[in-house]
Amino acid sequence: MNRRFFIQSSGVALASFGVSLSAPSFIQRAVLGNTVTGGRRKTLVAIFQRGAVDGLNMVVPFGESSYYDLRPNIAVPKPAGTNADAAINLDGFFGLHPSFSAFKPLWDSKRLAIVHAVGSPDNTRSHFDAQDYMESATPGLKSTSDGWLNRYLQTKADPEKSLFRAVSFTQTMPRVLQGKSPAIAVANLADFTIRAGSSSAKVQGGFEEIYAQNTGDSLAGMGRETFEAVNYLKKVNPAQYKPENGAQYPRNQFGNSLMQIAQLIKAGVGLEVAFTDIGGWDTHVNEGNSRGQLGNLLLTFSNGIAAFYQDLGAHMDDVVLLTMSEFGRTVRENGNRGTDHGHANAMFVVGNSVKGGKVYGQWPGLKSDQLYEGRDLALTTDFRDVFGEIANRHLGNNNLQTMFPGYALSQSKFKNFL
Amino acid sequence: MRISKKAFSFQLQWMRSLVALLLVAGLIGGALIRPAVSLADAKSKKLTEEQRIIHVLNRLGFGARPGDVERVRAMGVDNYINQQLNPEKISDTVAENKIRDLSVLSMSTAELYEKFPQPGQLLKQLQARGVIPDDLAEARENRVKGAKNAAPDQMPAGQMPNDQAKGNQPPQPSAGDPLNNEKYRAAIQEYYRQNGLQQPARIITELQASRILRAVYSERQLQEVMVDFWTNHFNVFAGKGADRWLLPSYDRDTIRPNALGKFSTLLEATAKSPAMLFYLDNFQSVTPNPQRNNGPRRLGPLAELTNQQRRRDQNPMAQPANRQPPAQQRRGINENYARELMELHTLGVDGGYTQKDVQEVARCFTGWTIFQPRGGAAAANYIMGNDAERRNAGTFFFNARAHDDGEKIVLGQKIPAGGGINDGLKVLDILAHHPSTANFVATKLARHFVSDNPSPAFIDRIAATFTKSDGDIRETLRAIFMSPEFNSPEAYRSKIKRPFELVVSAIRTLGAETNGGPGTHQWIARMGEPLYGFQTPNGYSDSAESWVNTGGLLERMNFGLALASNRVQGTRVNLSSVTGTVSRTEVDKAKVMDDSLRTILGGDVSNATREALLKQLDQEMVVSLPGPRTPMDGARTPVDGDRAMAAPTGPPPGNQMDGPPGADGPRRQQQRPRTEANINDPVTKVVGLILGTPEFQRQ
Repeated sequence: MNRRFFIQSSGVALASFGVSLSAPSFIQRAVLGNTVTGGRRKTLVAIFQRGAVDGLNMVVPFGESSYYDLRPNIAVPKPAGTNADAAINLDGFFGLHPSFSAFKPLWDSKRLAIVHAVGSPDNTRSHFDAQDYMESATPGLKSTSDGWLNRYLQTKADPEKSLFRAVSFTQTMPRVLQGKSPAIAVANLADFTIRAGSSSAKVQGGFEEIYAQNTGDSLAGMGRETFEAVNYLKKVNPAQYKPENGAQYPRNQFGNSLMQIAQLIKAGVGLEVAFTDIGGWDTHVNEGNSRGQLGNLLLTFSNGIAAFYQDLGAHMDDVVLLTMSEFGRTVRENGNRGTDHGHANAMFVVGNSVKGGKVYGQWPGLKSDQLYEGRDLALTTDFRDVFGEIANRHLGNNNLQTMFPGYALSQSKFKNFL
Repeated sequence: MRISKKAFSFQLQWMRSLVALLLVAGLIGGALIRPAVSLADAKSKKLTEEQRIIHVLNRLGFGARPGDVERVRAMGVDNYINQQLNPEKISDTVAENKIRDLSVLSMSTAELYEKFPQPGQLLKQLQARGVIPDDLAEARENRVKGAKNAAPDQMPAGQMPNDQAKGNQPPQPSAGDPLNNEKYRAAIQEYYRQNGLQQPARIITELQASRILRAVYSERQLQEVMVDFWTNHFNVFAGKGADRWLLPSYDRDTIRPNALGKFSTLLEATAKSPAMLFYLDNFQSVTPNPQRNNGPRRLGPLAELTNQQRRRDQNPMAQPANRQPPAQQRRGINENYARELMELHTLGVDGGYTQKDVQEVARCFTGWTIFQPRGGAAAANYIMGNDAERRNAGTFFFNARAHDDGEKIVLGQKIPAGGGINDGLKVLDILAHHPSTANFVATKLARHFVSDNPSPAFIDRIAATFTKSDGDIRETLRAIFMSPEFNSPEAYRSKIKRPFELVVSAIRTLGAETNGGPGTHQWIARMGEPLYGFQTPNGYSDSAESWVNTGGLLERMNFGLALASNRVQGTRVNLSSVTGTVSRTEVDKAKVMDDSLRTILGGDVSNATREALLKQLDQEMVVSLPGPRTPMDGARTPVDGDRAMAAPTGPPPGNQMDGPPGADGPRRQQQRPRTEANINDPVTKVVGLILGTPEFQRQ
């Protein structure tokens, strides 16, 4: 129990009110008004593509003839001159889906790295299991009670006690952030307050009192944290945000989430771990090729990330953005011009400290004898190697064993994209 | 700053006790979601009768309405449980009257396709038949051009991206959303008005309203709880393709009649339900080897109709060139339903099946499909008066030509070749009677009705009842309700209400009137549980961890305030009926508190909550007393006071509701809830605060 110490403006240490019982509420409020929190720090932005994105159409191995043999209707064409529907050539073998044109400058300036044939060693093809495993980072073990990002928080001290150290821009707390260490789940920062018109402050005071006094109930701790965060956020004033550098976020929940993450980073509230997700990737039917269902979604996805990068400018020195999806999809297209649940996938890593412009990981090939269980992209990189490298080299947490229990992770397994 | 010695030592002492408290709190913090045992009964091993009544009303239903506790006490708790286990014997006229005007509830799927067509799809059909009015044709033309630029190669109109699944966000309008274009929308609206049509979004709005109205008003409370339970267990997402048209039938014909019946019957009903067949893609799972069947011999009348439809669908007049490839090329097996059937509906993920079993089960279900899954030309035929082919749109049928008729082996059991539709039925039979299914269903029921972490011994007992009774849901529930575990202080208020439960129980406890419209849907969605809005087939979580987080808790408090101050659209509460006569004298203050607490929480709250509330009321008195009003007014008519602040278009209080829910369709749905509630009245404030207490979040 080392939560939150607040400092009065005079500089006299008062006490921790994180779980205080006897401090009168007016003192609490006075102290909360001067919360010391956050500051500039390293941040990880994790984006989950829920539903298993088709990594082979996202980062296209156009150098593989099998890719075109197995996908007669949904393959993305090889790069060819000015063909806007062709893959964007990266290195003569891999190309980006044409929806990723906003990623090209990031690639060229070496801010974007790709890890391919990466994923979970567990062979489940259940979305829910696979998401669970990727979020708990214990593939095959469902009894793990917390998510790996929460274990990251647990195993690294936060002397500044940031209230906004870990924020998930989702309606509910995702598995990856569930656990003992406090985190916030919120869909929209502007709504993160008590809404009672002119009497909001008084009513909030009433709730604060109830939750502060009600120590017999375990919900009380959650209530106290809630109001600490509410009070702090008032000073950040989320309604007044304007993206910089001409960044234009997609006008949907995904774009909105990324914009708010950018806002918290710039506000210096001590954001260390941000999470959000984007669904709709389960393309069993009519996936499309360069255009169509997947292409439309990839457009939102890449434009959102590119806008985030643009908006943050020099702040990207301190930020690494990582994308993930629970598993890949079958190499062969199915009878509905879609793809079914597969195995390994691709991840993007974006940031100014990233050694980008390179596709990392060993490529296993797509010939029939190279496929996993005869149908899927084989796995050559465990997703924990990627998570661990970012947690260790970017965020500076050395407790690899605690973050990734049951897995012998060491720096020798890192891909060295950082 | 100088601190006197005495004060300093006091401070030290205070700090010391604080450290001790911090340590204790640290221990508590480890087990985040701990059941709260109210102070009065912390030591006792049994629930008081009063507590047991509250417990039963909370768990078998959506909480007590005013007078419910007394009613249950008068008839006896066990009698009440028995009554609830036999909902067919309970008269339910109030709830039936409340939902009488929700027209979608009684419509067949074919009728829904006719009366609630997707605009783009309807126009295309009208155009193909040469009966589209000129102004509409022009609006459509303009829009198609615009949409092409915005989003090339869109899905066919009327189809959402085919599998929105696996994220937890509500569906978002695509760039080609017809509603983005004002002119087009106006033309459509006018055409819909002239032809008595309505927007498809209205369907789910009415269905949601029916769920809320029934949960609030039905005497068959357990039935509604089980409808909620099975709707989650067999989750279907309204945003996926045609499912919005298929869900009313799913609720009415699949879930409701079987909610307390045999699990095997319920399972078969879901397997044959168009909603599930569409949601998990089985409707288009066909054998890659159709030549193995002697096709024409097996063609039923419906299959023949399908072929007619297919021929028409292939007519280039009826379809733009970039539409789906012809049916023959789209053939293939889809494993989605097969996997979720075992993982989520029956065996559970560790229930002992393999990838090979998934493939074999998928083969068994090839050909289980939907006649005109997207309604075919139902709407156009309706407008043109063609009755012949439209009646069966959106119904289940077995297409023998699409079925893989070879031998299969499922969970070690051989399913001989040539079984046709019996292959799937055999699979359902194997699964419904598998021990893993008994265990899985028992676990979920125990978690829902008893606690987040039911003991393995308890689950075993319930699973044994499930098996012994041949999967009789009623008998399995009876075993749970009569168990010591269910009736223990540990179970009492150990469950965190899900948002739907919170909203309904709050409306019930205040004796409020609601039309169950979008005002309530929006709040439930904001708290994270939009009805029919969960994308993935696992359904909403039934554990506290998923529902207790800072954002969610804040929305719960805001909901309580909005409800108490009559800011939930379509819902009206009269607080004077909750608190009785209110005065601002010292004497009555505690009475107001206690009346409110008795009504809302059965009076069973921690002293801490009571003290904190009393203090709030105190503060309010101090602030209010110097005001120009006499102590009596304002406090006596809180609803009137609040009404004065309501928007001019706001509905009057009482039983008059603001029209049928969702009257103006999707636009209203997109509005954010009106959440600014001025809480100037002390009673409103106290009631709002009580609805936001830790105690009221539990059941």
